[in-house]
Amino acid sequence: MKPSFKRRQFLLSIALSPLFPWLAEAKTGLRVASLDWALAETLIALGQKPIAIVAASDWARWVIEPPLPPGVADLGLQPEINFELLASLEPDLILTSPFVQQLEPVLEKIAETLQLSIYEKGTAPLARQREVTMILGERLDRAEAARNFLANAEQLLDLYRARIAVLDPLPLLLVNFMDARHVRVYGGSGLYQNVLDRIGLVNAWTNETNYWGYATVGIEELATVKDIRLIAFEPIPADTQPTLQQSPLWTRLPFVEAGHVSVLPPVLMFGAVPSALRFARLLVEHLEGLAA
Amino acid sequence: MSVGDRLQGPLLLSLGLGVLALTAVAILVAGPVSDVLSKPAVSSGYDIERMVLFYSTLPRLVMALLCGAGLAASGAILQQVLRNPLASPTTLGIDAGARLALALAMLLTPSLVGIGRDAVALLGSTATTLLIFALVRRRGFSAISIILAGLVVSLYCGALSAILVLVENRQLASLFIWGSGSLSQQSWEPSAALAWRLGIVALPLVLLLRPLSLLELGDESARSLGLSLARLRLLAIGVAVALSAFVTSTVGVIGFIGLVSPIIARLAGARRFGERLFWSSVIGALLLLLTDATLQNLAGVSAEFLPTGAVTAVLGSPLLLLLLPRLKTATRPPSYMPVSHAWAIPFRTSAVIAVTVFVLLITLTILVGRAPSGEWQIAPPDRWNEIMIWRLPRIGAAACAGALLGVAGLILQRLTNNEMASPEVLGVSAGAILAFALSLFAFGNLGGLSESISASVGGLAVLAVILALGRSSGFAPERILLAGIALNALIDAVVGVLSATGDPRAILLLGWMGGSTNGTTTATALQAGLATVVLVTVSLLTVRWLAILPLGGPQARSLGVPLERSRFLLLLLAAVLTATATPIIGPFTFVGLMAPHIVLAIGIRNPVHALLSAVAAGAGVMAAADWLARTVAFPLQLPTGLVAALVGMPFLMILLNRRSAST
Repeated sequence: MKPSFKRRQFLLSIALSPLFPWLAEAKTGLRVASLDWALAETLIALGQKPIAIVAASDWARWVIEPPLPPGVADLGLQPEINFELLASLEPDLILTSPFVQQLEPVLEKIAETLQLSIYEKGTAPLARQREVTMILGERLDRAEAARNFLANAEQLLDLYRARIAVLDPLPLLLVNFMDARHVRVYGGSGLYQNVLDRIGLVNAWTNETNYWGYATVGIEELATVKDIRLIAFEPIPADTQPTLQQSPLWTRLPFVEAGHVSVLPPVLMFGAVPSALRFARLLVEHLEGLAA
Repeated sequence: MSVGDRLQGPLLLSLGLGVLALTAVAILVAGPVSDVLSKPAVSSGYDIERMVLFYSTLPRLVMALLCGAGLAASGAILQQVLRNPLASPTTLGIDAGARLALALAMLLTPSLVGIGRDAVALLGSTATTLLIFALVRRRGFSAISIILAGLVVSLYCGALSAILVLVENRQLASLFIWGSGSLSQQSWEPSAALAWRLGIVALPLVLLLRPLSLLELGDESARSLGLSLARLRLLAIGVAVALSAFVTSTVGVIGFIGLVSPIIARLAGARRFGERLFWSSVIGALLLLLTDATLQNLAGVSAEFLPTGAVTAVLGSPLLLLLLPRLKTATRPPSYMPVSHAWAIPFRTSAVIAVTVFVLLITLTILVGRAPSGEWQIAPPDRWNEIMIWRLPRIGAAACAGALLGVAGLILQRLTNNEMASPEVLGVSAGAILAFALSLFAFGNLGGLSESISASVGGLAVLAVILALGRSSGFAPERILLAGIALNALIDAVVGVLSATGDPRAILLLGWMGGSTNGTTTATALQAGLATVVLVTVSLLTVRWLAILPLGGPQARSLGVPLERSRFLLLLLAAVLTATATPIIGPFTFVGLMAPHIVLAIGIRNPVHALLSAVAAGAGVMAAADWLARTVAFPLQLPTGLVAALVGMPFLMILLNRRSAST
């Protein structure tokens, strides 16, 4: 009979679980779908493979790590979640963010939902990410994994802080080039700023930013006589470099003349702890490479 | 009036504008200039104030002058050639075409720079211009038809851009910055490049000046003077399109300068074409300079990023509304939908065909889909329970929205006697988006009921404004359609401003604008069904008016139709139909334009039959669009409203062309 077979399998897996921990996980693990990338990367970090996420096809281009495990279904664009597909995957839990709030009544017909947000009023994103990681860990019976992961993350960040301290680096200007004339510059109370503070780096951008910690400005606003280092994250529009080369405003900038311009691979700006770690690691390794 | 008197108006006006603009510029550069002067010229090292002044602020001012002049000249030429006081790169959709072409190029071949960008912008502008001319050629290029076609084409380009942005939403902000026309500069290179491009294009204008001013004498006299009118018009329009395309390719879309400047020049007293062209360019240059310098002064106060192009559109569109009453709307002989004609096909045959096609279509859209693995399949009966709770409501709601819009389109086309009239030109859906956008950015993501409420309030507010404006003209239909255009432009600009800052909530706004039927509940679908039954029944009560009004005002009155009241009630009905459909299918309501044409194409003229066929045609088209949206890019789903627009436009072109070939 099927039920007894299931029970036997379950007992067996419990009996074997000290030897093969993933076996127990595979059996007790919930089927979780995530409509938010920050929550999806936290899931992966906690060892819980999501069964489906939004815009899975773009993951490799914008998030990069942690890599998306094979076999995660693609639910399509964030404003057009494929409900028919999601329902057919029979999830136990659907993770949502305030950006898909209007879909909650529909999602609840499929499975229980859990709405978590990295950006909450009154909390710094990095601190909130830790909270979210713990909430997820407890909800998924992975509190232990969550605690370990966060402890590891803190150790790593401490280590990065120590490695930065010996470098004595310049203040950093963190930007994304929008086109040849505009950048998005990070600061304020955003994730990037939190990580800079945590690992002992100084942000060269002290002007206002929006609620999410960035400002869209013309490139002329970056002009400064201070010696700083510009860190541009990929992707950079192809015509940016040739256009900037024609601009004395840019080419004669002290930090440009000194060659203090770096390009780093993409980092998810609305990410969670894994993205924060990736951001910190890319910076530290790059700055060490320059010092060497 | 002597030449001196005539020129006094524009000159004084330009001087006034110039003083204002210079004041704004003075405030802007006073600090840096005095700073630079107070320092020794050969100060060593990098002087920020000096570098920003010389390589950002000053080039930006020159860029504003160049763009303003180029766009205004383009508008002045278009207004002269088309003899249409509302023609401009904005109202004809020329800059929307360039914007779409460049957005596509940016995504497909990101390395495009320099001449390549210009070529793409030119291609896009030319394509939209040709499209508009193809749409209106049977209407003898009448002023209103061109503007309506321009609106439809602009909206269509907007729908295509929206799909691009939705699919590539991580590049959203850059597409928006550029679509909203930021004048921010970092070197003299772009203004120098634009200057010589505009100069080369403007050269043929010297030769065209005299022949073009002869156009004012009327086609006959111009022809008797030995002008090849067709070639002249083609050349002049080519120049206008190129001027606008070069500006768009350099800085993005700067709305309404090209419309407003020539109108102001004309109002100030510039009578002859040469004068108008010159003063328009001067006024356009100064207007854009004034706007941009003022904006930069204000930007010091608030840190928010405001693209100049979107701001000119926000300021310019109400101006269009004010200028509308000056547009002469000549009563034309009825040319559309002669109601007394014999049917092309016996009604019974066409009815049988139509019903069969409709039933088959709906059945197919319900049953055929994609399995979770991605394979095409007919829904297996044992899984109907799980599949149909998702499919049936969305197909049902989409079909109802299509039916409502089909009827609204039929009413509007008969009322205005214009085959390019469609529900979006009423501006009701634009008002709904604006209200949704404002509530989203002011109060956050409300979801569900409050979302529909804010949208309905916005739609109704716009309706009230339109009806209030229309009262003075006795609800002259064309006046009301044009008011809708101004509102649409305003909303487009506001959405552009909200999105260009890169606010992540913009994606919610776009998703809503796309017309998503995804996740429609059974309750919503049933409500939509009920509303459709009620509103279609009410519409059936108006068929007598629908039969008589296309004959023209005087005839209708002599047949005992109370002109003002019937127009008012029909407008109200069309607005309510549209407002009911917009929350379901979004503001891209092209199906309202298409359904009446499908009805005509299958040869149905009797108003009752036409109305019922419009219901079926609208419902069928939307159900098919919904099916495509669900299946074509699986597992990606696309918004139904946008897909309907994409599929609908080429289809409409075929319908219009086929009929023009047969008549």
